[in-house]
Amino acid sequence: MNHVPARVWVTRTVLVGFIVLSLQMTIATEIRVLGVVIQIVLAFAVAAGAASGPVEGAKAGFVLGLMYDLASGLPLGSTAMSMTFGGYAAGWGRQYRLEPTWWMLAALAAIGAAVGEVFVPIIRVLTGETGVFDARIAIVLPVVALSAGMLSPVLIPIARWALVIRPAEVRVADADT
Amino acid sequence: MATYSPGRRRIAVALTLTSLFLLTLDLRGNQVLDGVRSGFGIVYRPINRAGEVVSAPVVRLWRSFREFDDLEEENRQLRAEIDAQRSAEISAQNAIIENQDLLALAGLESLASYGSVTGRLVGQSPSNFDQQVEIDRGALHGIRVGMAAINEAGLVGKVTSVAPQSSIIMLVTDPSYAVPVKILASKGEVAVATTSTTVIPVADSDDTAVAASEANGEEATENIAETTTTVLEIIRETGVLRGQGSDRLPRVSFIASASAFGQIEVGDTVFTAGGSTSLAPPNIPLGRVLNVITRAGTAGQELEIEPTADLDRLQFVRVVLYQPASEVGR
Repeated sequence: MNHVPARVWVTRTVLVGFIVLSLQMTIATEIRVLGVVIQIVLAFAVAAGAASGPVEGAKAGFVLGLMYDLASGLPLGSTAMSMTFGGYAAGWGRQYRLEPTWWMLAALAAIGAAVGEVFVPIIRVLTGETGVFDARIAIVLPVVALSAGMLSPVLIPIARWALVIRPAEVRVADADT
Repeated sequence: MATYSPGRRRIAVALTLTSLFLLTLDLRGNQVLDGVRSGFGIVYRPINRAGEVVSAPVVRLWRSFREFDDLEEENRQLRAEIDAQRSAEISAQNAIIENQDLLALAGLESLASYGSVTGRLVGQSPSNFDQQVEIDRGALHGIRVGMAAINEAGLVGKVTSVAPQSSIIMLVTDPSYAVPVKILASKGEVAVATTSTTVIPVADSDDTAVAASEANGEEATENIAETTTTVLEIIRETGVLRGQGSDRLPRVSFIASASAFGQIEVGDTVFTAGGSTSLAPPNIPLGRVLNVITRAGTAGQELEIEPTADLDRLQFVRVVLYQPASEVGR
């Protein structure tokens, strides 16, 4: 993604973001697991991080988070910040492994999703909201993390296309030259 | 392979700071960001509509799989309830009309004083930390931030965000929601004695007759008639209702300690209190007291309220075109 013009990956991410956001607003709000809304948009952001690295994850999380805030009427920047952290966290482990297996990527996505989701109530508290931190988070976090991990095999190839991420061998060859 | 570097950290910090900047601007109110939000809504609306159409079969399948047994049982119970409530409804309608006539005569504020706009639910909050719904009516239909949203059963919430063709409604269960309420309780009948006195002319009575009467223990000059009527003792208490999140019932804490403490009981009714700073007009039904919580020390009582409106199955919502003074200009 290093040499890809921003307009290309931003356009692709926004296009995919609209579809993912639409799924989030329709199917995910209806089909709840233990009463928890599965966070598909966050899962896509962390998939981007797990597929490419912390910076790409943070960028994708920021763009998708802004779209999420705009669509859901939340204060602009609140979800963007939490998804930035989530994408960054998912990508952080990615940089230590050239070609991780699918389950490693799923685990990274799950960790990133847990980080992103835990920052939602933290940011709400910082903006003056009360009552958002309660015992329910003990159910929300595992469900959101597990679902992101399970969705990652589907979302990672889409994230690679959206962020124009080339296979590892090509990147290594580029670095050598 | 890429490694962790200060450059990477700088990008992450820059994105975080940008988020914080946008958050600050938006929370303080910014017309440019409001315009961006409206524009995004216009672009996103058809995509979301297409998403609804595509996902509708999946959602229906899921609902029918998950809710069939519950719905069947609920349907049976509701039929029995409808039969029981038919007669009550007729007398209640009559009471409502009389009440509104009296309020109009006295020049008092009531829900009938305001117009309303009915909207269909088109979305729910995608977040796990908000209790919000979206309706398909917005600023073009006269809806403004702060207006109360109700349905046939009672108060649903308040409008927190308005786009030209849609609005976001924060439900009464949201932790950020608070509204002044009154709790009304009728505590049985109280006997009230009414005394009427009849004076018997004494001019034509002689001493013998008076003495005879006194000997019999009777009043010679007065005939006292006592009638007893009964009235309902109404207890009225005011407090603030606050949402507690999706899994917990809203709670009412009292504004000040009052003599009615201990007299509020399970089943008492809760209405909006109204007032110049209230988010809702007065006398909108909100729910019933489900639990009276006595807290230790001077914390006083709290009431758990079961909302009359079924917030999990909202289909249509009526927005009362009443904008509280505290929300004007937002």
